[in-house]
Amino acid sequence: MNSSPAPIRPSSGARPAHGFAKTILRLVKNPAERQAIESGQIDAIVDAASGSAILLPDAQRALLARSPDALERSDVAHDGSWIQDAEGRFTSHFAPAQAGAGLGDGAILGKTLWELGFDNLHDTDWQAHRQLLAWRAPFRDLELRRVDIHGRRQYVALSGEPLFDEQQRFLGYRGILRQIGVRRAIELQQFEHRRAAWAALDAVSIPVCVLDETGIAVLVNSAWRRAPCDLPGFQAGVREGDSYLDACLADGGAGGMDGAAVAAGIRQVIGGERRQFRYELAVSDACARSCCVLEASAVAEEGRACAVVTLTDISRAKGIERLLSLELAVARQLAEAAEVGLGLQAALRVLCDRLGWDCGRFLRLDRAAGLLRQVESWGVPGEAVQGFLERSTGLELRQDAGLAGRVVQSGQAVWDYGAAPDREDSSMALAQEIGAGGSCLFPASHDGEILGVLAFSGALVGMLVGASDERLMQTLRSVGDQVGGFLQRMRALEDLRCSETRYRSFAEISSDWHWEQDPEFRFTRIVGSGPFGAASALGLTHWELPDIVPLDAHWAEHRSRLAAHWSFCDVEFSMDDAKGNRHRYLISGVPVFDAAGVYVGYRGTGLEIGHRPGELAHTAGGAGVAG
Amino acid sequence: MEMVLYVTQGGPNSIQALANLDAICREHLQGNFRLEVIDVLQFPQRALADGIVVTPSLAKVSPAPGVRIAGNLSDQGSVLRALGIAVKVP
Repeated sequence: MNSSPAPIRPSSGARPAHGFAKTILRLVKNPAERQAIESGQIDAIVDAASGSAILLPDAQRALLARSPDALERSDVAHDGSWIQDAEGRFTSHFAPAQAGAGLGDGAILGKTLWELGFDNLHDTDWQAHRQLLAWRAPFRDLELRRVDIHGRRQYVALSGEPLFDEQQRFLGYRGILRQIGVRRAIELQQFEHRRAAWAALDAVSIPVCVLDETGIAVLVNSAWRRAPCDLPGFQAGVREGDSYLDACLADGGAGGMDGAAVAAGIRQVIGGERRQFRYELAVSDACARSCCVLEASAVAEEGRACAVVTLTDISRAKGIERLLSLELAVARQLAEAAEVGLGLQAALRVLCDRLGWDCGRFLRLDRAAGLLRQVESWGVPGEAVQGFLERSTGLELRQDAGLAGRVVQSGQAVWDYGAAPDREDSSMALAQEIGAGGSCLFPASHDGEILGVLAFSGALVGMLVGASDERLMQTLRSVGDQVGGFLQRMRALEDLRCSETRYRSFAEISSDWHWEQDPEFRFTRIVGSGPFGAASALGLTHWELPDIVPLDAHWAEHRSRLAAHWSFCDVEFSMDDAKGNRHRYLISGVPVFDAAGVYVGYRGTGLEIGHRPGELAHTAGGAGVAG
Repeated sequence: MEMVLYVTQGGPNSIQALANLDAICREHLQGNFRLEVIDVLQFPQRALADGIVVTPSLAKVSPAPGVRIAGNLSDQGSVLRALGIAVKVP
């Protein structure tokens, strides 16, 4: 087998051999390949321009010598033969008139193939073919189509080989033609369609692998070929001819995929037991969390069952889903919190849990004092983190300095990696404490007003990834707004509580008692030191109270006002005590309506205005009711 | 080992390359290889896509690093070295 290579010999064609060799060598740049050509070890060159293989003279001669007049004497059935001159013009032909595509017509004599108007080949195709002829290469089954005079599409296939005379001068080409039947024409069309489908599949950015009925890969697209690096664990290293099912079964779960389950699912799809099989695989490492989906869908090709396996990277969609869920969880915690501290702590915990951070703190901004004060914190269990948080309790930072100050000044999130020892707020960096490497601080604001800063610490890698994640930044802005809104809401509630307390104290000092009545004017609640015991008065109206000085006409007028749901002010009435002293009182009230506007009763206040021993009170004012 | 041999069907060097590679595989790889033979007359585009310019050419696909050898593989020593096959000295 170690035969010594023969040097490249001059071509015996009409063209000067030296020029031919030079031309050949011009196409090949690689020194090793050029050396192989020069040492006669090469049969053909693949010409990128024409997309064809160009036989070198020795190989061409060998092929012709092995099969002289191969085309004419081949067993291939043919319908005619032809000869062209050195310029590619037909000089003779023998074919029945019905040979098809016009090649049975004597009018082709003197014309070249590309002058005959075949409609399935374009300029570039003809350029490639002419390049082939220029290289004196044989060609096989050049398929041509033309519409005949009856409007029918006719197909023929031409094969040809170069002709040389005894002095090895090139004379032209000779060859055969075959009619292509309707079936072949359909096959050709199908092939064209399939080729277009393959090209389309190749252009798809999703990795696709087509399996036959036994699970063997019959086609993988370009994206699939690139997939092994991008989507580890999905057996994307499988190529045409490999069994995808076997690859899954042999996986052993190293990539995280349950190969047996996937193989079983795909088998079901191929077997027609289900239309689709879907398998989701999440892979996490220190840097990122990726999530991919394998989908196998059933398709039928010419009656054969097969499946199309696609791999889709849904990491981004999943990431967005996770962040939306995080925003929702923070919103829920803040909505359910009864106190500011509880809400803040819950929010800090959710953020740390979901983003893998070690601890978080909230620093409330006190603009008047120019300080940021740590008011809440949360950290993962562990001595280092808890110790760090304990030491930072009561931390106060200037609002115009350090990382937190930058957040207040800019209103933007700040990411920090590592801990600079000379930094004013080195207390912000957990790195020094536990070897973690990064911090993230962002504002909590409401309507553009910064109310505080949320500061988190965690592993450097996570922080580095987070800083470059625009969607995470969006989530942090949203969380900052939520926390700001929560603080504002709680502040408003606190203001309301203070206002209510103030109002109650005013009410208490301006009256002796206050009361509430149902729609029928019966007492439902009495608070304070009134003229009657609450227990004995509940369920009674004013005019039914014991010891009240009866004055029916005045009470009748008052009742008519109540029936009209009017408010009343300083209505006077009198009551006699056990010692016979008469006490005078003023009552004021307003009708009460519920949220739907339905009248539900009265509420009001009462005030003792004095007493006269043994004497009846008199009516005071037009609206008065006195005994 | 996974290899692809690009040949010209019937070409003398291609026939020789196939025979030489067959001998190398039998003698040194003992069945631990996978060989795909591509006829560039039938599949020129495949060769172009794989960056093959001349035939016969042998491409070692795996294990890495990939290697391409042009010619009829008659220099067995060079081929073995290129493929990374250690030859036992008797």
